[in-house]
Amino acid sequence: MNCQEFWNTIPELGECDESHLLECPTCAVRMMRHRELEAGFRAVAAGSRQVAAPPRVEARLRTAFRQQTGAEHHSPSRPWIPAVTWVAAFAAMFALAAFLVRTRQPEPVRPPAPRAVEMAAVQQPVDYDGFIPLPNSAGVAADEDDVNLVRVEVPRSAMIALGLDVSADRASELVEADVMLGSNGVARAVRFLE
Amino acid sequence: MTSAPDESDDELLLRSQSGDEEAFLTLYRRRQAGLFRFALHMSGSMPVAEDVTQEVFLALLRGDCGYDPARGTLSGYLFGIARKLVLRHLERRRSSIALETDADDYTQPELAVIDDPLLDLTRREGIDALRRAVQALPRRYREVVVLCDLEEVDYADAAVALGCPIGTVRSRLHRARGLLLEKLHQERNTRQAPGTLKPVRCVS
Repeated sequence: MNCQEFWNTIPELGECDESHLLECPTCAVRMMRHRELEAGFRAVAAGSRQVAAPPRVEARLRTAFRQQTGAEHHSPSRPWIPAVTWVAAFAAMFALAAFLVRTRQPEPVRPPAPRAVEMAAVQQPVDYDGFIPLPNSAGVAADEDDVNLVRVEVPRSAMIALGLDVSADRASELVEADVMLGSNGVARAVRFLE
Repeated sequence: MTSAPDESDDELLLRSQSGDEEAFLTLYRRRQAGLFRFALHMSGSMPVAEDVTQEVFLALLRGDCGYDPARGTLSGYLFGIARKLVLRHLERRRSSIALETDADDYTQPELAVIDDPLLDLTRREGIDALRRAVQALPRRYREVVVLCDLEEVDYADAAVALGCPIGTVRSRLHRARGLLLEKLHQERNTRQAPGTLKPVRCVS
C-alpha cells in the first residue's frame, strides 16, 4: 500500500493500516497530528460541556407547550367561550332556516299600485263569465264563496301569456283586468275588460 | 406523569404529542445542550444559539413537524432543524454585516506564543486556536466537524442532519481535518514570522 492508497481509506476516522505507518515516517507524522487534533477536539468539547441553553428557553417552551395543548390555566370565563360561540352559531343557523322557510311560503297577491287598483266587486254572487283560469290554479271555482275580485291595470303584453292575440305595437299599452283571488290569496283567474 | 430515564426519544415525543408536558420537558432537557452548542459553534453567537434551540423545539411542538423514525433518529432530525435555522441566521447576517464577520475571521489571536499549536492542542491556547480554526472553516466543513468531532454525533445521525449520505459525511470530515491542520500550521508560521524577521540595519 502506498501513501495515496493509505489516505484514501480515511484512516483517521476508523481503523488504519499500522504496517504502512511503520514503513512510512511521513505518514506516521501526519497521522500523529491527526491524533493530536482529535485530542484537541475532545478538549474543546470538554471545555464547552457545561454550555447549555439558558433556563428562560425552557420557560418559554413550557408556556408554548401549554398554549399548544390547551393545558394552560385559563381565566374562569375562558372555558365558556367555545360554548357561547356554539350557541350563537346554532341560533344564527335557526334564524336563517326560519327565514328561508317563511320566504318559500306563498304570499298573498299584493295590488301593484293604488292608482292602478281598485276593488271591483266583493259582493256575492260573483259574475264568473269571461275569466281565464291561470296556470297552476284550480281554475274558476264557481262554488267557492270566499273569493275576491281585484281590478288592476296590466300591460297588454300580459295577454300573450294567456294565449290571446296582441299586436306588437300595442304591447306596452295598459289594459284593465279583474283578477280573482282565492280564499288563500292566490290568483285563480283573470278577466280582461276590453 | 413522570418520565423514565431510559425512555427513548421517540417514546417521549409520542407522549409529548399527546399532551404530556413532562415528556416534552424531559426530551428538551436531554437534547437542548447539544443543539445549543452546535448552534453556538456554528454561529459564534449566544443569542442566535438561544433562538435556534427554542425554534427547534417549537417546530417539534407542531403536529406536522415531519419527523419520520424510519429515516433516522430524532436526535439527527433535531440537529437537521437546528442546522437549517443556523444557516438562515448566517445568511441574514452575511447580508447585513458581512464586513464585520470577515474582520472577525482574520483577527490575530492574543495568545502567548507557542512553538507549535499542533504539539499540544489541549492547552488553553491550543484549545482557543483550534476553536478559532473551526470557526474559520467553510460552512460545509465546519458543520460536520462540530457535529461529529465536537458533539460526537455518529455518522448516521450527522448524515440525517446534513441531508447527505454517510460517505459524504466521512469525506467532508476528512477534508475538514486536513484544512484544520493546514490552518493551524499557518497560524504557527504567522506567529513565528515576527520573531524570525528581525529588523537589521544596513551598514553598506
